[in-house]
Amino acid sequence: MNRLEATRIVVRLAGDAPIVASLGHPAYDLFAAGDRPQNFYTWGSMGVASSIGLGLALARPDLRVFVLDGDGSLLMNLGSLATIGLLQTPNLTLIVMDNEEYATTGGQPTPTARGADLAAAARAMRIEHAVTVRTEAELTTAITQATRHPTVIVAKVAESVPIAKPPLDCVFLKHRFMTAIGSDDPALNGRNSRAG
Amino acid sequence: MTTHTPQWAAGVCAGVHAAAIRDVVYVPDNPLSHVLRIFEQEFKDVRLVLATREEEAFGIAAGLYLGGRKPAVLLQSSGLGNSLNAITSLLIPYQIPVLMVISMRGDASEWNAAQVPMGRSLPAMLDALGISYSRVESADGAATTVQTAAETAFGTRLLHAVLLPRIMTSLAG
Repeated sequence: MNRLEATRIVVRLAGDAPIVASLGHPAYDLFAAGDRPQNFYTWGSMGVASSIGLGLALARPDLRVFVLDGDGSLLMNLGSLATIGLLQTPNLTLIVMDNEEYATTGGQPTPTARGADLAAAARAMRIEHAVTVRTEAELTTAITQATRHPTVIVAKVAESVPIAKPPLDCVFLKHRFMTAIGSDDPALNGRNSRAG
Repeated sequence: MTTHTPQWAAGVCAGVHAAAIRDVVYVPDNPLSHVLRIFEQEFKDVRLVLATREEEAFGIAAGLYLGGRKPAVLLQSSGLGNSLNAITSLLIPYQIPVLMVISMRGDASEWNAAQVPMGRSLPAMLDALGISYSRVESADGAATTVQTAAETAFGTRLLHAVLLPRIMTSLAG
């Protein structure tokens, strides 16, 4: 299973649910697998995707929130696992595309290439539902089962060369996303001048 | 340990609440412990979210905003350094507003030299980043300053910071 194939599975199973993607290859593959307004592509802030997803899941308990992270990115913000474990946010599914390398920057190996175990780290931080998957069938099962608990799915994927990139306009991406999930952004609405 | 309620801290809480903020993400410090306690005891409709690191706090706050909430982040001035990646490459370019409430170290009445370089340069760093800020000059002005700062942040969809000087937060009353 390569990352694009895994991403296609996530998009197919997500339905209308929001997906937050870490910068670089995870975001590029999300765009290639299926651009939709419920995708939130980050263009920076490496490491922070899981935190964005956590905040969104707290704000919107009516939605199931998916995060597409990378192994290098999650390693930059491991404290996020402790916070997810603390809050036990049931509607958050964090999928780590673990290719065991910093692919976006040229393929330098990450600590997971030498055995660092992100699913074990998640369990140690009280995220009980944390699994490592290696096939499309295992990934499908893990996502399907992850509906009632905070879940971390570490998907061991082969690197695949990105074939597309999402739009570059950050504010456009934000507005499109917020409108798609029904978050009110007052900036997008005119108002009666008598309202002050 | 006394549990008196400093007037400046009550004012911060009142200002945050009056600005319709119901989500407060924080990394604690000593003065902010008063703010957190008042939120817990007197503003039970405010959700307090502990983060392990200030950058994480800004990421969580960004997600809250995308979900339609108005978040505040409470941090010590030393935590701005931990936050720059999220602030400069997420909140600013995506125009995601957050009220920043910064408990100052390294300014007047500091005793720890290790706190001075970041505290002293924080206003210049905010200026360099283009982040507007207000300073709470006195305890009785805290509520108004904080509420106005929050309304500025969410009205303009730009980050806005409130600085709490140590000379005020370190006083007994």
